[in-house]
Amino acid sequence: MSRFRFLLGGAWTPRRRLTWMALLAASAVVLVWSARGIGLSVSELVRGLPWIWDLVSRMMPPNWPFLGRLVKPVIETVQIALWGTLLSVLLALPLCFLGARNLSPSLVVFHAMRQVFNALRGINEIIFALIFVAAVGLGPFAGVLALSIHGAGMLGKFFAEAVEEIDAGPIEALRATGTRPSLVVVFGVLPQVIPSWIASTLYRFEVNLRAATILGMIGAGGIGFELVSSLKLFQYPDTAICVLVILGMVMTADYLSSKLRARILAP
Amino acid sequence: MIEIRGLTKSYATIAALRGVDLRVSAGELCVVLGPSGAGKSTLLRCVNRLTEPTSGEIFVAGEPAPRTRAELRELRRRIGMIFQDHNLVPRLSVLKNVLTGRLAAMPPLAAALQLFPVSDIDIALFALRRVDLVERANERADRLSGGQQQRVGIARALAQRPKVILADEPVASLDPKTARVVLDDLRRAAHELGIAVLCNLHQVEYALEFADRIVGVCDGRVVYEGTPAQLDEPALSRIYPGLEAAEMSRAPAAPRRVQERIV
Repeated sequence: MSRFRFLLGGAWTPRRRLTWMALLAASAVVLVWSARGIGLSVSELVRGLPWIWDLVSRMMPPNWPFLGRLVKPVIETVQIALWGTLLSVLLALPLCFLGARNLSPSLVVFHAMRQVFNALRGINEIIFALIFVAAVGLGPFAGVLALSIHGAGMLGKFFAEAVEEIDAGPIEALRATGTRPSLVVVFGVLPQVIPSWIASTLYRFEVNLRAATILGMIGAGGIGFELVSSLKLFQYPDTAICVLVILGMVMTADYLSSKLRARILAP
Repeated sequence: MIEIRGLTKSYATIAALRGVDLRVSAGELCVVLGPSGAGKSTLLRCVNRLTEPTSGEIFVAGEPAPRTRAELRELRRRIGMIFQDHNLVPRLSVLKNVLTGRLAAMPPLAAALQLFPVSDIDIALFALRRVDLVERANERADRLSGGQQQRVGIARALAQRPKVILADEPVASLDPKTARVVLDDLRRAAHELGIAVLCNLHQVEYALEFADRIVGVCDGRVVYEGTPAQLDEPALSRIYPGLEAAEMSRAPAAPRRVQERIV
């Protein structure tokens, strides 16, 4: 019989043991409290299983001819993602320099810019879409604007962080040649950040495509509209097709974008 | 070409330079020796004002301290600098890295759009030829070996057509054979092009081999000045107090400087 010794994260002083006990107890209390709040219940789930099965069986067989109706919405979804990404890149590009600690003209501007990025990122695309639907009306353009604004927050932060991670040595070397600051950025900063910027943009496109598949639910264009309509009309075989198509789109985008990113980020 | 009078530099309470007087003539390779923290880097960086001196005067080609940003860039344009870690821009080609030495002389908008005057490209290629790397011009700079990258750094400095070159520990991370090639490039730049080269070194033997003149700095002061032939044991113990002669060639490299704001 071999003997074992419990080794997890360094020495266990009585004080540390007590702290961890307290943390565990506190987490347990919070989780139980939350479970009651949301009505978490295994028996409900078990009782609901036949209904879930019922829904799935009503989707079968998928209504394949419905695919033809989805061509236009799928194209629209990709178009929304494309322009949503492009506009957020255009917004993020000039702002990211102000939000990078090593390039920002002042600490005040830096912190202000970071808060702007956080605010834009913090508000969900769907909420922006609701606002823009009210502002510019139903349709894909509202969706594009929503994705642009939310995406600008994310890309601004990612772009700025890439700028902060650059090697300062080449920058100093360029300054030492008497090069003006704008050209120091072009020749010293951009070559160091562009691979990371492109990777972030591809990732954002991927996220936008996922988001664009549900924008239609609130009338902001794309395949989500077909999905919700089929549910509301109890056309479950159509719903099945929508789900499969969305799955296919998202998986394709994930695959392509991760392949491309791996290639671009290779040294 | 470089004239330094009464130069001092203090960081908060620490005095890095305590009154340095130094002259470097055109066509001369002047090597600065001294232990880590003696103020060698600070001395060099004061010449092109990457570090702002606390007091004292520095004349480069007779010109006094710059008063505006434009004058500062004008001063730096005439001073090439070579760094311990070469500080090339990764992912840019060798030629483009050398061309960055000409940026200050180019029309900025065209340069930003990657349009370079043919005359500047010629100067860059000529500089690459001097360090024997012209056939690598279109390769990415970070694909070259450490020694080759350092020589691209020299080409970048030469492309500035400088009056002065400052070299801050240019061979500290190179093997002895490559180090000699790099130091030979620097010496030829001084002798053949009439550039005043001020070079910090850690290794006494390289100084003896390549320098026209040696300046010893210790604790922020010049403690020796003379030819390599005049550098004897007493002089060395003034430059490296408390260090045996045998240990001198193995003095540790200076720590890398971290710059917070970059432009």
